[in-house]
Amino acid sequence: MAIIETEKLTYTYPGAEKTSIENISIKIEEGEFVLLTGPSGCGKTTLCRCFNGLIPHFYEGKLEGKIQVVGLDVVKHPIHELAKHVGLVFQNPENQLFALSVEKDVAFGLENLGIPRKEIRQRVDWALKTTDIYHLRERPPYELSGGQQQRVAIASVLAMQPEVMVLDEPTSFLDPLGAKRIFEDIHKLNKELGITIILVEHRLDLTAKYANRIIIMDNGKVILNGKPREILDSEKARLIGIGIPKVTRLYQFLNGKGMRLNYVPLSSEEMAKKLKEVFKQ
Amino acid sequence: MSMFEGLKFRKVSSPIHDLDPRVKFFYVIAMFAVAVMYMELLPLIVLFLIQVPLVTMAKVTKQWIKSMRGAAFFASIIFFTNFIFSYLYQGQQALPSILEYSMAMTLRFIVLVESFSIFFLTTSPDHLGLALEKSHVPYEFCFAFTTAVRFVPVLAEEAQTIMDAQKARGLELEKGNILKRVRNYIPILIPLIVNAIRRSLELAEAMESRAWGATKNRTNLYELKLRRGDYILALLTVVMLVLAVYARWHIPIPRIMEIFPWKASR
Ligand SMILES: Nc1ncnc2c1ncn2[C@@H]1O[C@H](COP(=O)(O)OP(=O)(O)OP(=O)(O)O)[C@@H](O)[C@H]1O
Ligand SMILES: [Mg+2]
Repeated sequence: MAIIETEKLTYTYPGAEKTSIENISIKIEEGEFVLLTGPSGCGKTTLCRCFNGLIPHFYEGKLEGKIQVVGLDVVKHPIHELAKHVGLVFQNPENQLFALSVEKDVAFGLENLGIPRKEIRQRVDWALKTTDIYHLRERPPYELSGGQQQRVAIASVLAMQPEVMVLDEPTSFLDPLGAKRIFEDIHKLNKELGITIILVEHRLDLTAKYANRIIIMDNGKVILNGKPREILDSEKARLIGIGIPKVTRLYQFLNGKGMRLNYVPLSSEEMAKKLKEVFKQ
Repeated sequence: MSMFEGLKFRKVSSPIHDLDPRVKFFYVIAMFAVAVMYMELLPLIVLFLIQVPLVTMAKVTKQWIKSMRGAAFFASIIFFTNFIFSYLYQGQQALPSILEYSMAMTLRFIVLVESFSIFFLTTSPDHLGLALEKSHVPYEFCFAFTTAVRFVPVLAEEAQTIMDAQKARGLELEKGNILKRVRNYIPILIPLIVNAIRRSLELAEAMESRAWGATKNRTNLYELKLRRGDYILALLTVVMLVLAVYARWHIPIPRIMEIFPWKASR
């Protein structure tokens, strides 16, 4: 069974006239790395909020259709129960850290669950080491750089050992290099720990190569859902105006000029390798 | 502002930092009680001096001096009001004793600031929150407390940013009469409040996402345990309290000017 499954999911915020997401039917398998993208205001954040029950439990409003996460019906289970399985990392690192030391912040979720102190200690240390911020454990989060703060946010979700991690534009407050490193970390969580990743991101240049799948939304609906190479090369994706990676554009350009590369490259490394092969021939 | 600067916690490790906040708080309250018990200069000097080793042991001398400097303004107000009023009341003959009395009142305040600043300089807000929890304060309040402490610097920075931005757009804060000046602050307060509300919503979302309220029996990463140092401080505090009460009723306390008669004879 799929780890996340929605069927005709439609949601309207309380007081809003328009639906924010409409008729979303998707299936995400365990261990996938899914890239969710689309123009601003298309409902990406809203969909993320459905995955861990913030919608409908925190936001109320009108939710129709079905949504199951890790076999649990989101509507019937409270947020704190879903939180054990689905971790959410938000855009602004500053507003998701509350404690006065990094380790205390990472422990927050575990404390809420009433896990024994000894186990909290172990899991906190493990999460800090996995995200490479063990040396910062006693620092107050607000004194850290944006990238470090976002790592703390990731560690604090990781400590709860969720099967699914949803990251909503986790790097939009960071510089490109900081962003790149965060993406590498997320990739590592996916590859080494098998955590299912849903990453909302505009910068496909940096992330497409990690994804098994890209979902593109527009105006509250899913309009494309499939393999990265196919999606990025499609006419539809170009028309919506999402940030198609430059290497893909180069590929299309070369293709137009009659130079055949046998697949769509997703990163500059891949492109370089491909070109070298072609020139050698 | 600088007085509060001296109350800001910095992470240092020292035997004083490791003490249980509850014991430290007991110590502060005891200090407070003893300082209020005495109106004479001599015992207050003693109270002031016996706390100095604590400061050096805690390695917070620099910040402590800062907070004392910050308190100097209030201290001088206390000194002068006491001095002027006693002078008006008692006349010129009693000048030396008025002087000593005013100094004692001032020192009493300084002793209070001293012990409070030792407390805040050496107690991490996290531990303070934990101490509150252990004292059966509901967890929601403790959480609100530590979160408030955490967001003070953030909000201060934000206020500064907004102020700069509005000034750059031509807002003049220091212009006009008092009413006008208060009105000048509205374009700063509104974005600040709006931002704070948005921020608290995001925080609430993040808390919910991390299983806030999952169980009544919340656990805690940190643990408060009474150790040897805590017993020593508690014991010392009790001894001081007993001595102070005893001395208050049974030992006549000389005034400084009686000890140094050369001053009185003038
Ligand atoms: N809390 C809310 N209350 C009411 N309407 C909301 C709320 N949050 C979002 N919306 C509306 O829902 C729609 C989808 O917003 P959403 O935040 O999900 O978009 P998004 O794809 O995440 O955009 P962005 O890329 O800018 O983050 C928008 O029209 C927005 O105005
Ligand atoms: Mg969004």
